[in-house]
Amino acid sequence: MNNLIEFFKKAFHIIVLAVLLILSIVMLGTSLSFNEHSLARGVQSIVGPIQKSGAGMIHRFRLGPENEELVKQNIELMRERENMYIEKDDTTLTEMSQPDSLHRERIRMYDYTYAHVIFRTVDRAFNYMIVDKGAKDGICRDMAVLSPSGVAGVVTDVSSNFATVRPILHPESRISAVVTPANQNGTVIWEGDDPRVAYLEAIPQHSEINIGDSVFTNGYSNIFPKGLLIGTVKEVQVGNNASFLTIKVKLATKYTDIYTVYLVENLFKSELDTLKANFKDE
Amino acid sequence: MNNIISNLLRFIILLIVQVAICQHICLFGYMSPALFLLALFLLPLELPLSLQYLIGFATGFVVDSFAHTLGVSTFSCTLMMFFRPYIAHLLNGSNNKFENIDRPVPGVKDFRWIFLYTLILTSIYQISAVMLGTMTFRNFGHTLLVILGNIFFTVFVILCVEYIFYPRLKNEI
Repeated sequence: MNNLIEFFKKAFHIIVLAVLLILSIVMLGTSLSFNEHSLARGVQSIVGPIQKSGAGMIHRFRLGPENEELVKQNIELMRERENMYIEKDDTTLTEMSQPDSLHRERIRMYDYTYAHVIFRTVDRAFNYMIVDKGAKDGICRDMAVLSPSGVAGVVTDVSSNFATVRPILHPESRISAVVTPANQNGTVIWEGDDPRVAYLEAIPQHSEINIGDSVFTNGYSNIFPKGLLIGTVKEVQVGNNASFLTIKVKLATKYTDIYTVYLVENLFKSELDTLKANFKDE
Repeated sequence: MNNIISNLLRFIILLIVQVAICQHICLFGYMSPALFLLALFLLPLELPLSLQYLIGFATGFVVDSFAHTLGVSTFSCTLMMFFRPYIAHLLNGSNNKFENIDRPVPGVKDFRWIFLYTLILTSIYQISAVMLGTMTFRNFGHTLLVILGNIFFTVFVILCVEYIFYPRLKNEI
């Protein structure tokens, strides 16, 4: 018995060490699926407000109020852009009006709001951002996130006051894109290395792609409106798979320096999703 | 008692600086300093081992909470605290010319001692933290660059802070 107690006295610090290391590995396991575990949620609920006020303080330092006004003005202007609407013939008006007059009805398809990034990572294999608006402010899953310079990501998870954004810098991120002026459709993915560079896939080898060509969203996804800048072509190589090109795209969004983001909601998303779901069933 | 207060104060200040400033620094896209390690480096070596591990664990947890990386710093700090006494012992060697061997502070120790002590412990922390953070061996070159960048930057910042705040101890000895 004495031996046992003696042993515990000697090995006490080793036991403490083992327990602490195991505990931290368990925490690591929970953090891999952020926001789904009560521990991560609990920590976020304590730390979130502190970080928000911290980010706010720095924001005030940066001529905050003036910037805020400009963001609102920007949103007003962006809401009126052509790609925010779908047009269709208005049958009731066609008969009455002249053939050459305005008889096409414009229906708003996308709407904008804005938020501020309070946390982001760029140097990991699975990056993400957190913005300071959540379900209370009308943010919902699958909203598109834009930085002032281009496409930034997609909202993946929403709590009442915050939302998690999956940036392009994530292995599961896929954005359908069109490269101009060649007008070829492809998919932008990220390979987990450089936060400034992504890859454009599925562009046939015969297409003429030049360095400096612009890559835009093509609007097929129901998430992003068409015609938003993703980046510019940086390098073109003939890939291993001989029928497609490997294209490096320099991303327009600078993730290391991102603060204000715009969130785009597709007002017809549920309708379109229902159609797509029906298609899968058949 | 005085020692406890000064240690506690150092922890609080360094943690605030880490969370508010250092965490947001990302030089060239991959170099960010872990200044809070200084608070752990300067802990008295004669503390009970299990208490040292607990302090490392708690410090890592606070840093993790603000960086949304639960577990990464916690694990790395605890691991580093485990190695700390051995590294200090190794560096002391058979050379007993330092009377006050248990204070890892400039002035008490010479520059070579402080530099190696900081470099080795920072390396242990950064290798563990970056590897756990990326969780992959893909693009190992980039990961290695991040590790080396972080080690270099952290050691540089910590040595600067140490030699700015502790120079007068030299005269006391």
